[in-house]
Amino acid sequence: MTKLVRLPPIATKTEEVLPVAETQDWVPLGIDTTVPSMARVYDYILGGAHNFAADRQVGSQIEKLVPGLPSVARLNRRFLGRAVNFLMDQGVRQFLDIGSGIPTVANVHEVAQDRDPAARIVYVDKDPVAVAHSQLMLSGNDNAAIVQADMRDPEAVLASPDVRQLLRFDEPIGLLMLLMLHWVPDEDSPEKLVAHYRDALPAGSFIVMTHVAKDQIDEKVDQAADVVNRSKSADQMHMRTHEQVSALFDGFELVEPGLVGCGEWRPDGPGDFADEASMNMFLYAGVGRKG
Amino acid sequence: MTNPSRRPDAAPPPDHAAVRAREALSRKWSYLLSSVIVVALSRDELDAELGGQLDALCAALHSEPFDPAPFEEVGERLVALGYVNEPGLRRTVDVLGKGLLALEEFQEIEHFPVRVVGGLGALAAGFSLARGRSILDQQESMQRSLLKAARDAQWDQRQSEAKFAGIAISSTNGILIVGLDGRIVWANEAIGEIIGGRPEPGVRLMELIAPNSVVAFREMMEKVLAERDEFEREPIQLLRGEDDLAKVTLTASLLRDGDDKPSHVLVVADDATELALLQGELRRQSLHDVLTGLPNRQFFTTHLETVLRRADPEFGVTVFHLDLDAFGLVCNSLGGRVGDKLLQHVARRLRALMSHEQAMVARFDGDEFGIVVENTEATPDIATIMAAINTDLAEPIFVDEHGLAVSVSAGVVHRPSPDVEPTELMRMADLALRQAKKDQRGQWELFHSNQDTERRRDHALAVVMPGAWEQGDIGVCYQPVRVLATGELAGVEAVLHWDLSDRCAELADQTGLILPMGEWLIRIATGQAQWWRQRGELDAQFGVRLTRHQATDADLVSRVAKVLEETGMPPELLTLTMPVGVLSVAGAAENLSTLADTGIRIALDDFGLGPRDLAWLSELPIASVCVPKDLVQRQDPRSATLVKAVHDLGVNLCVDGVETAEQAKWWTEAGADLAIGAHFGAPEAAGDLLKKLQG
Repeated sequence: MTKLVRLPPIATKTEEVLPVAETQDWVPLGIDTTVPSMARVYDYILGGAHNFAADRQVGSQIEKLVPGLPSVARLNRRFLGRAVNFLMDQGVRQFLDIGSGIPTVANVHEVAQDRDPAARIVYVDKDPVAVAHSQLMLSGNDNAAIVQADMRDPEAVLASPDVRQLLRFDEPIGLLMLLMLHWVPDEDSPEKLVAHYRDALPAGSFIVMTHVAKDQIDEKVDQAADVVNRSKSADQMHMRTHEQVSALFDGFELVEPGLVGCGEWRPDGPGDFADEASMNMFLYAGVGRKG
Repeated sequence: MTNPSRRPDAAPPPDHAAVRAREALSRKWSYLLSSVIVVALSRDELDAELGGQLDALCAALHSEPFDPAPFEEVGERLVALGYVNEPGLRRTVDVLGKGLLALEEFQEIEHFPVRVVGGLGALAAGFSLARGRSILDQQESMQRSLLKAARDAQWDQRQSEAKFAGIAISSTNGILIVGLDGRIVWANEAIGEIIGGRPEPGVRLMELIAPNSVVAFREMMEKVLAERDEFEREPIQLLRGEDDLAKVTLTASLLRDGDDKPSHVLVVADDATELALLQGELRRQSLHDVLTGLPNRQFFTTHLETVLRRADPEFGVTVFHLDLDAFGLVCNSLGGRVGDKLLQHVARRLRALMSHEQAMVARFDGDEFGIVVENTEATPDIATIMAAINTDLAEPIFVDEHGLAVSVSAGVVHRPSPDVEPTELMRMADLALRQAKKDQRGQWELFHSNQDTERRRDHALAVVMPGAWEQGDIGVCYQPVRVLATGELAGVEAVLHWDLSDRCAELADQTGLILPMGEWLIRIATGQAQWWRQRGELDAQFGVRLTRHQATDADLVSRVAKVLEETGMPPELLTLTMPVGVLSVAGAAENLSTLADTGIRIALDDFGLGPRDLAWLSELPIASVCVPKDLVQRQDPRSATLVKAVHDLGVNLCVDGVETAEQAKWWTEAGADLAIGAHFGAPEAAGDLLKKLQG
């Protein structure tokens, strides 16, 4: 669930402003109390209460434009569960979940360790509150940890002590990037970013991805993206076509049924897809295997 | 699921068909839920979970006596599954509401629908309570996470401002870094929102604390500096601007520098308002009435269940079912908005009046309220409580310049058996209320089991009444109306007579038979009057009382006109009397005015207890009013004031049900004009009355 760190420099009305020229991403936020976090907006849309007023405000604004959104969030969560189970079936016992967000219901470690308590999971998020929350939740779990890092800095993620300690890079790893890459603009080259992680993974590893779909998008979804982009959140949404998302799987072989609507990826029961067809196609979902 | 321990053994062992039917229902439940909830269970696990829950519910439905507690537990259990939320509750109630009654095992006995409804109410109540708790827990855990994130960032002024900013921007909580000297080093914008202005660095934190919180704050800071715990948490009031306060919870903990020496104190202020609003919103949605903020009927019923179980057996509980008198009148005359304000006022007053008791005040529907009191030795008796309520509400409140005073009537059930079902208890209170409303406003009536018997007897009588009327068993009798001071005959009143019941008109009113029967009464009475007058035997004013039903009958005017035409009775010799309480009902006041226009004299009975009774006299063409029997016999000194007020408006006052010379004397002195009652002559057949009058 996370997003790129664009930490604003400390710039308040009364204090001196840091040199602007050096910070290309400078967003004149100052110290603002009303900045929604996409991790918490997602939790709100899922039906949780791990959020603050600013998050709920953005969440309900988007919900108004796209009334089916709670079911999209739910389908993404269901897909996560199926994908982790699929990877467990393939013998994967270690997971790197990038942009894990606020731990809610049916987290990766719950699904995986329910089947094998020895399964190891490292979560990564940049939001300090989400990280603190995860730490509280994971205390006492020796096989799971959270790293506070920016996904766009793969070196920092891969070199972090928790990743080094919990993950073995000589056996398959499940790399999870759900609802993440649409926060990366084209100019920051999401393909290269994924490739960086891919190169670190041993053969037989998998990538699991969901991404907001551009092809199916109607006007309302455009407006919803606008709500996010115009909110004070530092995260900007970049929707992509089937072709563009497929390109992110470069170097991976998509497993059956390929890159499809989130509800269409190996549904297991009635809760796995929405009654309204367009909601099933709202996200592209795919699982790729590194040969 | 873990079955509640009080699972009854009474449940019949389900046969194979019943087991299969339950399985089909729980799978349907699971299927419908799965598309709206987020839970950590697989499809099979959810099927199994809900199957277990359904068995628990079925066992509860079979239990004797019915105990809805397992339903409440299932509601709580659903919340514990994950993000189930309102759509999940809606689907659950929907599928179980239809599905449980469709199960063969619940089709035989007629009490199952009632149980299913009660059970689902309990399920929703359990769900709401658990969901409210869950949300607060989640919010609390977010506050903890925020605090942890702030602590983990550690405070190093040169390097950590950026880290702190990262936390602070995502927070609506106020965050302060305070030096060991108590002076603020750094503050985020949110604290400015809370206290109405961002404090400058260098300001002493103590200067922001409201005087009544200074001691608590000082103790808290001492504990922080002594590092008794990881952090300290305390509700504190902060000064907000010149003369306002902000309620917050302060969490404070010690920060250390690179050498592990204490360097600063981190203070986080949660604005309690948002949490409180959220909490309030949640509870209001499902358990509270939005207008008044009081618990609603569903909450009240569920609560009854609990208090019946836990009440002190020595004192028990008392249930009041209250109804505002003449509320419809307020709404009709002043509009719904004024009515709403009045309801809010009554809600506030009731809550204040009951604040010394362990009591719940609830709003049911419209103008009805409920109170359940868990009695103690110190609880006042029912009469005292009711008097306190009516005295308080008699103080007028002003809404849009209308001074409104109200009275309430009540049905009371005192110390019911702890085994009684809440729905039955509510029915008993309602029955007693209707009994109380029958008599007068501002009254209360205790529920007696013989009321039930009486009511059944009434039903039986009502059934045979049409036959009795047809066969001539119901007749018309006449009673004299006399001038109190002189004993002179002022008129004659015609009443229905039936050997089987002295409440003939009342019963006929309940069934609607009064419409033809009442018209018949007027025809017989006016026919008799004409007969006597034409024979020169008696020339007097003749009176007939109309019931509520008749008074609001859209055909009343044409019925009366037809009868007068048939009998030739001069309209000015006929007096028609309406119950004053009916005037607020649509149509009654119009009927009254139209009848008065034709020359008929109009009187009001049941007069004297409603707050608006007097007002009618100046608004409508009323010739006289009739004070009812119980007020007559009470001889309240304030009644003299009533007589004067009525006279001031140019209206005669008649007292009903005078039985003794002493009563007659008292009312003569009070200034009443006319009287009816056994003391002046009981109802008799036409011939007998005439004989007496002539003799």
